[in-house]
Amino acid sequence: MTATTATGDSRAARRSEWLRENRARVTVLAVLLFLFLAAMAGIDAGDWFSTIMQGLSVGAITFLVASGLSLIFGLMDVLNLAHGELFMLGAYVGWTVYTRFDTVVDVLVPLLTVAAPFAVLPVWQRLAARIGQVRWRRPIRWGLLIAGAGAVFAGVTKFPLVIWSPDDFTRSPANLSVQIGLGTLTPLPADSFGWPAAVAILAVLAGGAALAFGFSMFRNQTADQAPLRRSHVLGLAGMIAAAIVLYMVKSPLNDWVFGLSTTWRFFLALVISVAVGAVVGALIEVVLIRPLYDRPIYQLMITLGVGFIIVEIVRDVWGRPSFTMARPAAFDGTGAGCPGQGIGGFFSGCSTVDLFGTRLRVYNEGFVIVVGIIVLVGVTTLLKRTRIGMVIRAGVQDPEMVQALGINVRRVFTTVFAMGSALAALGGVLAAPSIGLNPGMGATFLLSAIVALAVGGLTSFPGAAAGAVLVGLLQQIIIRYGQSGINLPFMSEPFKPSATLVPAAAILLMVVILLVLPTGLFGRGER
Amino acid sequence: MSLLEVNDVHTFIGQFHILEGVSLDVPEGNIVALLGRNGAGKTTTLKTILGLTPPRSGSVRFADADITGMRSFDIANLGVGYVPEHRAIFSDLSVGENLRIAERSKGDLARKEELIFGLFPDLKRLIRLPGTNLSGGQQQMLAVARALVPDNRLLLIDEPSEGLAPVIIEQMMDAIRQLSSHLTVLLVEQNFIVASRLADHYTIVEEGRSVQTGAMSDLVDDHETVRRYLGAG
Repeated sequence: MTATTATGDSRAARRSEWLRENRARVTVLAVLLFLFLAAMAGIDAGDWFSTIMQGLSVGAITFLVASGLSLIFGLMDVLNLAHGELFMLGAYVGWTVYTRFDTVVDVLVPLLTVAAPFAVLPVWQRLAARIGQVRWRRPIRWGLLIAGAGAVFAGVTKFPLVIWSPDDFTRSPANLSVQIGLGTLTPLPADSFGWPAAVAILAVLAGGAALAFGFSMFRNQTADQAPLRRSHVLGLAGMIAAAIVLYMVKSPLNDWVFGLSTTWRFFLALVISVAVGAVVGALIEVVLIRPLYDRPIYQLMITLGVGFIIVEIVRDVWGRPSFTMARPAAFDGTGAGCPGQGIGGFFSGCSTVDLFGTRLRVYNEGFVIVVGIIVLVGVTTLLKRTRIGMVIRAGVQDPEMVQALGINVRRVFTTVFAMGSALAALGGVLAAPSIGLNPGMGATFLLSAIVALAVGGLTSFPGAAAGAVLVGLLQQIIIRYGQSGINLPFMSEPFKPSATLVPAAAILLMVVILLVLPTGLFGRGER
Repeated sequence: MSLLEVNDVHTFIGQFHILEGVSLDVPEGNIVALLGRNGAGKTTTLKTILGLTPPRSGSVRFADADITGMRSFDIANLGVGYVPEHRAIFSDLSVGENLRIAERSKGDLARKEELIFGLFPDLKRLIRLPGTNLSGGQQQMLAVARALVPDNRLLLIDEPSEGLAPVIIEQMMDAIRQLSSHLTVLLVEQNFIVASRLADHYTIVEEGRSVQTGAMSDLVDDHETVRRYLGAG
């Protein structure tokens, strides 16, 4: 009996202690809730609900960017300023897979050919070690890299490539999106090699080999050499074979994909975009970030630079004007039986659904939010339940100790960087049908994501989610008031916040929260 | 036979020359104490052995293999366990996870449970608690237990008695003494009483150089040396 009262007492004591420690946190949440309800007081219930759902939708996309940013920052202390651009790249790659699959196949062939020699990296490393420390090692290395890049460039431009053209309206991305929406899109007629095929392929292959050799001359530690395994040779052979097979089956493959429903093609776009995001992320980490772990400022600068480069590439390839991505068929139904009614309406195949007295878009306010929740649950489970998650959580706190336990922390870094980039790319594909594509979308969402991170407490994963939802809700509420106006006590007319106030409000939220809670809502103090 | 040989290592951290020639020898099955004042380079010596701060010159040999310049996780996987200063318990992980993360192959922990919980019965009770909620003594036990999970041959233990109550220090010393029946230990210890009661051999480090080495039983009576290098005794 006494024992139970004792634990009861200590539980009450613990609760009051928790309250004392988290007083600021609880107050902030209460104030936020009050402001939120006050903001909603002037709006009718249907509007209220649709604003919330739109906020959650934007929040879900922001979360996909913020989650990767938070994982990367937490584990390696790298604020990846290129993260917004990876998000944008995901969107553009997704659009391309979805709308112009023939281009993807055409690009994959030379890409696989360039990458193939990298599969047998141990061979190049051994060759590089054999050359040893001769005086002209440096010129050889740079000569190889420049010659390799030249050969690859010359060869790749001679590969057949059917592509859109931002300058020609009938082949512009905007028009292609309209066509796919109408279901009239077909593969463009196949192009042919600019040089004899064998010459172009050999040029690209030799260029790739020169690049691989040149890069392996950068590192001359013998301890780092991996032994040549059968898997390396199989990788080389597999990539070359894949390139050849892809080239051979190009037109039946294109016809098959273009015959698929847009829902399947959207699924394909999701998968390929996520894969591209992971590969690009891993490459950025290994090639650019890894050599700079001792120099954090340089890392910041290099990710910023990579971001600019990606923006310019996107502007060059897809054009400056913004365009939309047609919604996949499963979320784009109209006509008889539409809009759908109630919760079940989300599965009716209609583009919109009537729920609680308002009309919601199934894709934006249904699918996007669901994917956001799935990712939140999935990544949380990964972090809490798997060994790699355990290692990541430990590495956030003390990478050196993780290393001392016999775990290759650098490999974990690469994995997490790839994972974060993949999440950003996923966000990009998801966002494209709802907000469209433009070369500035990366910067916009990077800003939102950084605010979400700061609000949630930089390295906390649930914090990133909460911050993203807060930022999304706030932005949508401001937009809503921009339409309807808000009655302020000292003004005769309703105040209508302009569109420029949307990002400003997010920053203001961050400033206010950081003033009260310097470590964010879920952050812990510096240890 | 020596399990670990450190031969005239020089280590730099940034541009600071921290180790200016440390040599030491750890015979298999023994406890060797690394002694010296604060800032003499004891912790850096341990980190250099483990490759966390790789030496610029000199050599480290472990189990008859040259491990100089190897990556630290490869060195650890050869069978070197590390119990760092301030314990470095992962506070986001539970006690059980702090042990499981040290597994090198599945089932390591299951095989060592008896040994670990035999040495530190308290840990069994705390297994679900987060690492942050442990007292200093419990953290130290967990840090040692973590190094016992995989099949290590050598333990590098840094300041196991620091900031602990005398009762806990006794318990810690008992545990280390029991371990030494099947493990080799290189121990950094400020507390000369603790070191002298545990170790078979000693090496004194002074300003980044190893200056004296020998059997612990000789050092205990050599008040002059103890006063000169350790400022105590």
